[in-house]
Amino acid sequence: MKHVVVPVMSILAVALIATGCSAATTPTGTKPVSGGVLVYATGDAEPTCLDPHVGGNYPQALVATQYLESLVSKNTAGEIIPWLATKWSESPDGLSWDFTLKKDVKFTDGTALTADAIAANVAHVQDPATGSSTGYLALQKVTAVTAVSADVARFTLSTPDSALLDSLSQPWLAIESATALKRSQAVNCESPVGTGPFAVKKWTHQQSISLVRNADYSSPPADAAHSGRAYLKGIDWRFLPDSASRYAALQAGTVDVIDNVQPDTLVAAKRSRDLVAIDAPRPGASNRIELNSSIAPFDDAKVREAFIRSANVNDAVTSLFFGTAKRSYSALSSVEKSGISEPSLFGYDQKAAAKLLDEAGWSTKNADGYRTKNGAVLELSLPVSTNQSIPAEQSLFEQLQATSKQAGFKVDLKPLDLSSWYGALGKNQYNLVSAPYTKVGPDVLRILFDSAGTKPAPSGYFANHSQVKDPALDALLEKAATSSDAAERVSLYKQAQEIVLKGFYILPLYDQQNHYLHRSVVKGLRAMPTVSTPTMYDSWLSR
Amino acid sequence: MRRLLPWIGIAALLFLLIAALAPGLLAPADPLAIHPTQSFRAPSFAHLFGTDESGRDIFTRVIHGTGASLLIGVSATAIGIGLALVFGLLAGLGPRWLDFGTTRFLEVLFAFPGLLLALLFIVVYGPGVVTSTIAVGLATAPGYARIIRSRVLVVRRAPYLEAATVLGRSWWFRLWRHLLPNVAGSLFVLVTLGIGQSIVWASSLSYLGLGAVPPAAEWGAMLSAGRTYLTSFWWMTFFPGLFIMISAVATTLVGRGLQERSRDS
Amino acid sequence: MALPVGALPGSGARRSWVPWALLRLGGVAFVLWAVATVTFFAIRLIPGDPAEAILGGPGSQASAAAFAQARVDYGLDQPLFVQYLQYLGRMLRGELGTSYALKQPVIAIVGENLGGTLLLAVVSLIVAAAIALALAAWSARGGRVASGVGWLLEVVAAAIPHFWLAISLILLFSTTFGWFPPVSVPGPLGLVLPVLTLALPLSGFLAQVMRESILDAMASPFVLAARARGEGSGGVFWRHALRHAAIPAIGLAGWAFGSLISGAVVVETIFARPGLGRSLLSAVQQRDVPLVLGVVLVVALGYMLVTTLTDVADRLVDPRLRAS
Repeated sequence: MKHVVVPVMSILAVALIATGCSAATTPTGTKPVSGGVLVYATGDAEPTCLDPHVGGNYPQALVATQYLESLVSKNTAGEIIPWLATKWSESPDGLSWDFTLKKDVKFTDGTALTADAIAANVAHVQDPATGSSTGYLALQKVTAVTAVSADVARFTLSTPDSALLDSLSQPWLAIESATALKRSQAVNCESPVGTGPFAVKKWTHQQSISLVRNADYSSPPADAAHSGRAYLKGIDWRFLPDSASRYAALQAGTVDVIDNVQPDTLVAAKRSRDLVAIDAPRPGASNRIELNSSIAPFDDAKVREAFIRSANVNDAVTSLFFGTAKRSYSALSSVEKSGISEPSLFGYDQKAAAKLLDEAGWSTKNADGYRTKNGAVLELSLPVSTNQSIPAEQSLFEQLQATSKQAGFKVDLKPLDLSSWYGALGKNQYNLVSAPYTKVGPDVLRILFDSAGTKPAPSGYFANHSQVKDPALDALLEKAATSSDAAERVSLYKQAQEIVLKGFYILPLYDQQNHYLHRSVVKGLRAMPTVSTPTMYDSWLSR
Repeated sequence: MRRLLPWIGIAALLFLLIAALAPGLLAPADPLAIHPTQSFRAPSFAHLFGTDESGRDIFTRVIHGTGASLLIGVSATAIGIGLALVFGLLAGLGPRWLDFGTTRFLEVLFAFPGLLLALLFIVVYGPGVVTSTIAVGLATAPGYARIIRSRVLVVRRAPYLEAATVLGRSWWFRLWRHLLPNVAGSLFVLVTLGIGQSIVWASSLSYLGLGAVPPAAEWGAMLSAGRTYLTSFWWMTFFPGLFIMISAVATTLVGRGLQERSRDS
Repeated sequence: MALPVGALPGSGARRSWVPWALLRLGGVAFVLWAVATVTFFAIRLIPGDPAEAILGGPGSQASAAAFAQARVDYGLDQPLFVQYLQYLGRMLRGELGTSYALKQPVIAIVGENLGGTLLLAVVSLIVAAAIALALAAWSARGGRVASGVGWLLEVVAAAIPHFWLAISLILLFSTTFGWFPPVSVPGPLGLVLPVLTLALPLSGFLAQVMRESILDAMASPFVLAARARGEGSGGVFWRHALRHAAIPAIGLAGWAFGSLISGAVVVETIFARPGLGRSLLSAVQQRDVPLVLGVVLVVALGYMLVTTLTDVADRLVDPRLRAS
C-alpha cells in the first residue's frame, strides 16, 4: 500500500504545484502591474540631438514624447485638452493668450514649472543659435512671453494666430527645464530635462537610449488612463534601421514594440496571436507627390493634369500595401477634421491624358515612345529620398513611372541620400517630389501652399514644393490664420483645398503611414492624438 | 569527379553567356512590364521564380539581368587588371627603387580591406552603378598587382629572356613577344577568378544600397529591392543571390581548373 | 668539444633580429603615413566645396557659422602644404575630426565600436580556422571522393556572398527553426549566426591553402623519416604535417583580417550588431566623410599591426625563416 501512496502523493503534489504555478503566471489581464523595462526598436533615423527644439523632425518627436511634455494636448475627437497648462484664454483682439500652468509640477532636475520657464523655452526656440526649424516656424507670430504671475504665462502676438494651440500641442515646442537649457547645446542634446513620465539616463550613440521612470511624475494629459508615476520602470529605446531585422526581433521577443512597420509584415502580423497593430496616421499633409509648377513642363496646368491622369495609383497602392493603406484624394491627413476629398479629380484615364498632352502641344513621339515638343523630350525628374520613402513607396514610384510612360512621360527616378535630396530641392532641380510634412492642424496648408512657402527658411529648407503662387489662395490662408471663428476657418480651408486640388498641383497618394506593432504582453500602449507618437505612460507588461 | 568539376563550371558559364547575349531565347517576356495585380506570387509553374512587388516575373528579370551583372563583373575586373598590369610591370621591370616604392604603395592599397576601399571611393564620388564598378575595380587591383609583379620578376630572369637580350632584341620586342605572353598565362586564371569575385562584391554594394538601383533588372538591384521583404517573400532575394553564387562558383571552378592544368603541365 | 658560438640559439638569433624589426617598423610607419596622405587627398577630391563635404553634402543645411568653423578646423583657407602638415599633426595627436552626422569626435565613435568588431573578427577567425582544418584534414586524408567533395565545398564556401549567406542562415535557423535570434542580443547566442556568416566563406579559402600544404608536407622527406621510425600515420599527421599547414595559414591571417573587416560591414548591418562595419556603412550612406576616413585609418592601422604580428608568428613557427 505504501509504495502506491508515495507515487500518488508525489503526482498530486506535482499537479498542485503545477496548477499553482500556472495560476500565478496566467496574466490577470486587466490590472496594471508596476515594474519591468519595455524594449522599443525604432526604424527611424537616430536623432542627432535629443532636444526637439533643435531642428525638429519626427524621430525626435518619437522619443521626446517619453520625457518632455507640452502646454496642451489633443484628444481623439480633435479637441485641445489641458496638459501642462490647465486653462487658457485669448484676448478679444487676439493679440495675447494667457496660459495657467498646473501647480506643483517639477522637472526631473528638481526645478519648478513656472511661467518664467515657459518664457525661457520660447526664447530658446526663437533663438537663431538653437537652429530650430519646426518650432521656429510655428512660433513666428509670437513676439514675447511674459510671466503675469508665477503660474500664468502671457504670449504676445504680432497678429492673431488661430493655429497657436495646435502648434503648442506638438513635441517640438515641449517645455524643458530653464536651468537645463542654460547648459551648452552639446550637453543639452545628450539628455534634455523635462517633466515627462520618463527621463533620459544615457544615450549610447547608434545603439540605444536608456530611459528611467520619473518617480515624482504628476502631469499626465487630460486624456491619460491613470495618474501618478508610470508603471514601467524604464524603456530601452533601440535603433534598428533594417525593417526585416526589426520585425524578426519582435517575433523572437527580443523587442516589445516596433514602429515603421512595412505593409507585408503588417499582414503577416495579423496571422499571429502574439502581435497587436496600432494604425496612427500622422497629422498634417497627406502623403502626396508634388508637381513643380515653376519650371517646364509642369508650368502648364494641362500637362500636370495629363500626368495625374496617366498615373495608375490605385493598382499600385493595392498591390504594394496589401490593404494597409487607403488611397487618399485629399491634401490633408485623414485625421484633420477640415480636410476635403475629391476622388473625381484623380481618376486613371490614359485617353484623357493623351488628349491633354496633344492639346498642350506635346503631340509628337520619339523612337522610345516619349512625347516631344520642339525637340525637347517630355522628361520629369523625381528625386527620391531613400530616408523618407519606404521601399513600398519607392516601388510605387516605379509603377507610376511605367504607367505614365504609356502616355509618353519619361520619369527619371533618382534615389538620393537625404543631404543630396535637400540639395536637389534647394536648387529647384526636380519636377516631381514626395516630401512628408507633419503638423497639427489645417494650418499646414499655409506652410505648404502659401507663396511665402517658396522662400527658404534660414536653414535652407522650404515646404512649398509645388511652387504654388496664387494670390487668391494666399488671401484665403492668411484670413484663416487670423480668424477666431471656427466655422469660418473650416470654410476658408475648404476653399483653399479646392484651389489646390483643382489646380492639379499635387497627386495625393495615402495618409502618412504610421504603424506600430507590439507584443500582446504590452498593455496600455497608445498613440498620442497630437502627432501620433506612442506614449508609454499608461503601458505595463503582463509577463 | 575532380576532373569533371571545371567542365560543370564551363557549362554554367556558357548558360550565363547565352543569358547575357540572347536573353530572349531563355525568357521571352518583358523584364520591365509591371502587373500590379500579380505581385508577390510564390514560385509556381507560371512564374518559375515567383513575381516581385510590381508583378514582374523574377525568372525573366534574373535572365535579362545576367548581361548587366556580367558586364559589371567584367568591367570591374578589366579596370583592376589594367591597373594591376601597369603597377606590376612598373614594379617588376623598373629599377630597384621603383620596385620598392611601388610595392610599398601597393601594400598601402592592400591595407584597405577591399570593401573599405570601395566605400571610400563611393563616399567621395557618390553611389551608383558606375562608381561601384570603378570602386570594385580599384579595390581588387592591388591583389592582382602583387601576383603580376612576382610573376614578372620570375619571367624577367628566365633564360629565353636573357637569350633575347643577348641577341640584341629591342626592349619592346622583349616585352611584347616574351614577357607579356608568359605573364598572361597566370593573368587568364586571375581574370576568370576575378570576374566571379567582382560580381559578388558589386552585388554586395548594391545590396547595401550603394550600387545599381531598381527598376534595373540587375541582380544587385533586385537584391536591394527584395531586402525588405526578406522574411515574407524570400524568393525575391533568394534567386538573384543564387545566380550570383552560381556565377562566382562557375568562374572559380574554371579558374582553379586552369590553375591545376598549368601546374601539371 | 665546444660548439661554435653562432650555433647557440641565443646569441646569433638575437643579433640578426634587431635590424629586421627596425625594417618592419619603418615599413609600418611608411604605410601609415601613405594611408594618411591618401585620406587627406580624399576629402579634397570630392567635387565641390570640401567644407560642404565635411559637413555632410550639398543639402546639409549647416549654418554659415558651421562652415566658417569647418574652414578653420581643417585649415581649408591655407596653402595646401600647411594644411597637410596640420593634418599630419592632428593624426599624430589622435584628433580625427568630428562626425557631422553623429556630432561626436570620430575617435570616440571608433573607440566605442572597435570592441564589437574585434570580438566578431577574432571569434570568426578561430571558428574559420577550425572548420578549415577539419575540412582540409578530411579531404587530404580521405579517398578520392572526399578529396573531390572537399574541393567543391571549399570552392562554394569561398564564392558565397556574405549577405546571401546571412539571409539564408536567418531564414533557416531563425525564421524556420527559431534556434537563434535574427538580430544581435547580448551574450553568446547572438554571436552564432553572425560568426557563422563570416567564418564559412573564410574557411573555404583557408581550407584550400591548408590542404595544399598538408599534401605537400605528407609527401616530404621528414614525414617519410618519421614513418620509417615507426610513428603511426595519425601521429605523423598531428605532429609534423599540421605545423606545415599552419605556416601559410598564418601568413594569410593578415589578409583574412582584412576580409573579415569587409564582411563585418555587411554582417553587422544585417544582424544589427554595433561595430565599426555598421558605423562605416551608415557613414557612407550619409556622406559623413570624417567618420569614413577615421574608420579607414584605424582599420589600416589594425591591418598593419596584424601583418606585423603574423610576420613575427611566422618566424616563431618556422625555424627556417629565423636564419634569414
